[in-house]
Amino acid sequence: MSVQAAVAPAAERSEAGMTNRMLIALFALAGTLVSAYLTLYAFGLVGEIACGSGGCQVVQNSPWARFMGVPVALIGLAGYGMLFVTALMGLQAAFAGSRAVSAILVAGAVGGAAFSAYLTYLEAYVIHAWCRWCVVSAVIVGGIVLAAIPEFRNLRRVSSE
Amino acid sequence: MARKKTPAGARNMKTFYGILALVAVVGVAAIVLAVRRGDGAMATEPIDLRQLGDATALLERAEGVTVGEEAAPVQILVFSDYMCPACAMWAGQIEPMLKAEFVATGKVRLTYYDFPLGGNFKHSFVAARAARCAGDQDRFWEYHDRLMSGQQQWAYSQSTPAAYFIDLARTVGAEPRSFESCLRSDTHAEAVTANRVLGETLGVGGTPTIFLNGRQVRQWNDYAALRSAIQAAGGV
Repeated sequence: MSVQAAVAPAAERSEAGMTNRMLIALFALAGTLVSAYLTLYAFGLVGEIACGSGGCQVVQNSPWARFMGVPVALIGLAGYGMLFVTALMGLQAAFAGSRAVSAILVAGAVGGAAFSAYLTYLEAYVIHAWCRWCVVSAVIVGGIVLAAIPEFRNLRRVSSE
Repeated sequence: MARKKTPAGARNMKTFYGILALVAVVGVAAIVLAVRRGDGAMATEPIDLRQLGDATALLERAEGVTVGEEAAPVQILVFSDYMCPACAMWAGQIEPMLKAEFVATGKVRLTYYDFPLGGNFKHSFVAARAARCAGDQDRFWEYHDRLMSGQQQWAYSQSTPAAYFIDLARTVGAEPRSFESCLRSDTHAEAVTANRVLGETLGVGGTPTIFLNGRQVRQWNDYAALRSAIQAAGGV
């Protein structure tokens, strides 16, 4: 096998990896903005939450809007922020094949999806109200999970090498 | 000499960073706008009486919401705050029995006056205005009852729960657009302030304060005692 033939598949994987990390960064940026808005609301810095219905206020003022005393929105802000920074780092040549970057993106995506599923369950069956921003966040997390699929593959590939 | 190729391609990266910057700028601008907008023109606090030349003239604007026959032998005045838990207890437990037994039978006429306490009860005033906006569409009592029974859902909101109030208006069958334009204005601000001033003039110090034919009822939470008082006052 020529050197060129051996390098090509790795380069293709890398290109695909880069595109999916761009998507993760974009989704994470959108999530950061949404959770920043909800965090400002949680700290009383936004006069009134833009929602279109009263559901956001019901959800955001319920006991479940805080997790161990910390506003859930702030946890989301930290999570999305971490994913955003990691995805941007992963776009740099030095981190293109980094296992650590893939691991953080996978962990962030899976953890975010689990947390989002838990919050959606609370909205549907416990609080009985829907916050549109939370639904938007759940969709964003879904996008991140899909975009993180190549990172699963990258993790498996790196561990088998 | 060939340029060194970046992993995602220089052109792709440029486009990507452009989109990223655009999303960030639009998002941050939207958040800044939302923060600056705040509560807009919505009156959330009583009128500052110091600005009025003659504060006593405001008393004439006091305006209760009544239920029951005008000629009923017993007149009950209720001074109440939508954020006060005891008021929710009055509205949820005592008032329904009172309405069923005495108001519906023409023995009692009930008049509700706002007494927004303010302070920690920061949404009291706007809630009182919201109920009156619903009242403009003949939905005062339904709205009043829902505000009281759902107190926990809106009373501790960090910001003005306007969206909740609008949603509630829709729930009780009010036309939401008219309701919203009423809520997002200073409509009824004078009447609610005047009601509070009236309460202060009558010596109301807390909520709920109940007057039965002009005399304050201390044991309002004891329905049997209230019934006896009503019957003694002529509501047999």
